Amino acid sequence: MMAKDKYTHAIQVDTTTCIGCSHCMKVCPTQAIRIIDGHANIRPERCVDCGECYRVCPVDAIYVRDDELKVMQEFDHRFALIPSVFIGQFPAEFTTSRILQAVHQLGFHEVFEVEHAVDLMKAEYQRQSDKLDSLKPRISSYCPAIVRLIQVAFPSLTDHILQLKAPHDIAANYCKAKIQNEQSDVRKPGVFYITPCASKIVAAKAPEGERESPIDGVFNMNSLYNKVYQILVSDDENQCRKQMADLSPDSVNWSLSGYERKYFNGRALAIDGMENVLEFLEKLESGQISEIDFLELRACDQGCAGGILCPGNRFLTVERLESRQNRLEVLLKLNQKLNNPLMESASELSKNLSTDPILPRSEMLIDKDMETALQKMDRLKTIAAYLPGFDCGACGAPTCRSLAEDIVKNKASMSHCVFVQRIMEKNYKLSPEQAFQMIEKIWGKNRLNKYVDKNGNIDA
Amino acid sequence: MEMQFHIEGGDFSGAGTASSEVKKVLKQLNISPMIIRRIAVALYEAEVNVVAHAFSGEMTVNIESDKIQICIVDEGPGIEDIEQAMQEGFSTASDKVREMGFGAGMGLPNIKRNTDEMKLSSIPGKGTTIEIIVKF
Ligand SMILES: Nc1ncnc2c1ncn2[C@@H]1O[C@H](COP(=O)(O)OP(=O)(O)OP(=O)(O)O)[C@@H](O)[C@H]1O
Ligand code: SF4
Ligand SMILES: [Mg+2]
Repeated sequence: MMAKDKYTHAIQVDTTTCIGCSHCMKVCPTQAIRIIDGHANIRPERCVDCGECYRVCPVDAIYVRDDELKVMQEFDHRFALIPSVFIGQFPAEFTTSRILQAVHQLGFHEVFEVEHAVDLMKAEYQRQSDKLDSLKPRISSYCPAIVRLIQVAFPSLTDHILQLKAPHDIAANYCKAKIQNEQSDVRKPGVFYITPCASKIVAAKAPEGERESPIDGVFNMNSLYNKVYQILVSDDENQCRKQMADLSPDSVNWSLSGYERKYFNGRALAIDGMENVLEFLEKLESGQISEIDFLELRACDQGCAGGILCPGNRFLTVERLESRQNRLEVLLKLNQKLNNPLMESASELSKNLSTDPILPRSEMLIDKDMETALQKMDRLKTIAAYLPGFDCGACGAPTCRSLAEDIVKNKASMSHCVFVQRIMEKNYKLSPEQAFQMIEKIWGKNRLNKYVDKNGNIDA
Repeated sequence: MEMQFHIEGGDFSGAGTASSEVKKVLKQLNISPMIIRRIAVALYEAEVNVVAHAFSGEMTVNIESDKIQICIVDEGPGIEDIEQAMQEGFSTASDKVREMGFGAGMGLPNIKRNTDEMKLSSIPGKGTTIEIIVKF
């Protein structure tokens, strides 16, 4: 069975800014990008919103579709859901409670840290590892970019993904239940998540394996950081609350790499960074790796500390979170007991932890009909053999093989290849004008102008 | 369609290239992911057997609309007792091969489990031929 629902995306290309340089095309893990008419085109059916393209764009033409703060206004009780990596963006002189307070001042009624939900997940991991069957390894459902990557590029591994909701989902459910119990006059409570990445936006808007999301809006961590920073520097410190021991110390690091796996009994590995994940899944899918019980996978280097919307340096973020863990450990010793408010509703929330199975997506298919597909595959092989194999990208496709694929799918032609073009020209099969038109179709009419704008002058 | 691969004995780091390539093609055809997985696993085990036990081999893969047929012919020591080789846990792997994490004697049984047909034949002192079929 394949996933049928609408496939939404947060990563977009601003085509007027894009200079068609092809950097993004080269790094896309699912070969979802082509250069057409002088700018990057993302094929939605293949995009997993990992944001690798966003990282490498030299002119900031890739952007993330998020919500504006004003979407909050229609809600009469507003929660800010804050992931701990947000705290980790700030210099240590600003305490956690000051930062939370500053977010509060942006127009929220309550702020709540996402990682409160982690205690509940830890218990669930124990349960899941105890009932582990032959379907090994189980793969964490935490990183939505990874879940989508598996659906699109490693479809035979989808049933290894844990059917477990993300902490932000659980925390949002908690917030909504809480306000309904406490204040019956609240008509429309809203929960807003501050995201470190594009894939969490998609996960909050259209979660895989869930019918609807309890999140009402998602704010970009990058832009919120600036707003909060301004409040912090103009703030008077005295009005802030003391920090409480309400989070388990190591929960604050759950989104980083290497913490989640500690809670799954057995042989568990943590892998972070898109390239590392790809290499590993490739081997896993062909049975080259076995006897592993759990895989914690993060699309970003250093986990969410390396998210594309995190303004800070990922290593400094990790440092800050780890020192927060130490401080929470001291606090916990002093207080003797953890006061995680979410755990008071643990039994209620536990009933609503699982998702539907994650289904594969059939986006890599060359044709639905087997006979036709085989013919096309044969043609693809022949074409690929004629292409030079340089993977130069000048045709607007990331590799010679992907151009061959586009050709058999009637999305490109042989003369897109500059080397083939040159030979055709030499043999008078193609006039220089035709070749020129071809190039213009790929790289766009205004390419030169855009480069001039970018470099400031034409001599450069 | 047909694909061919050369497998070099002793080249452990190269083992898996053929099964990866075949998997890439299969993923673009409308074949259930679970079947692809079975094929990939069987192919990899067969590939490693050439790497671990033989000198060199040629793999021919034939994909038709209803099945995949794979044939690997190798030059090597061959197998004296095929029935024994098929038993779970039977292995003649050298210590060196075991150090690399192979030699559990699970390869051939694994191939059998993951395929619809499997034929193993050998001339001791000359080489081994394995033919497998998986139906879509
Ligand atoms: N291509 C081959 N050439 C020669 N001998 C082989 C070949 N394939 C298998 N054998 C023999 O059959 C035995 C069993 O093979 P099998 O693949 O089941 O286990 P293994 O390769 O020893 O260990 P594992 O596959 O678990 O790493 C091998 O130890 C070897 O003696
Ligand atoms: S590792 Fe974290 S920040 Fe990066 S894509 Fe996954 S969930 Fe988002
Ligand atoms: Mg073997």
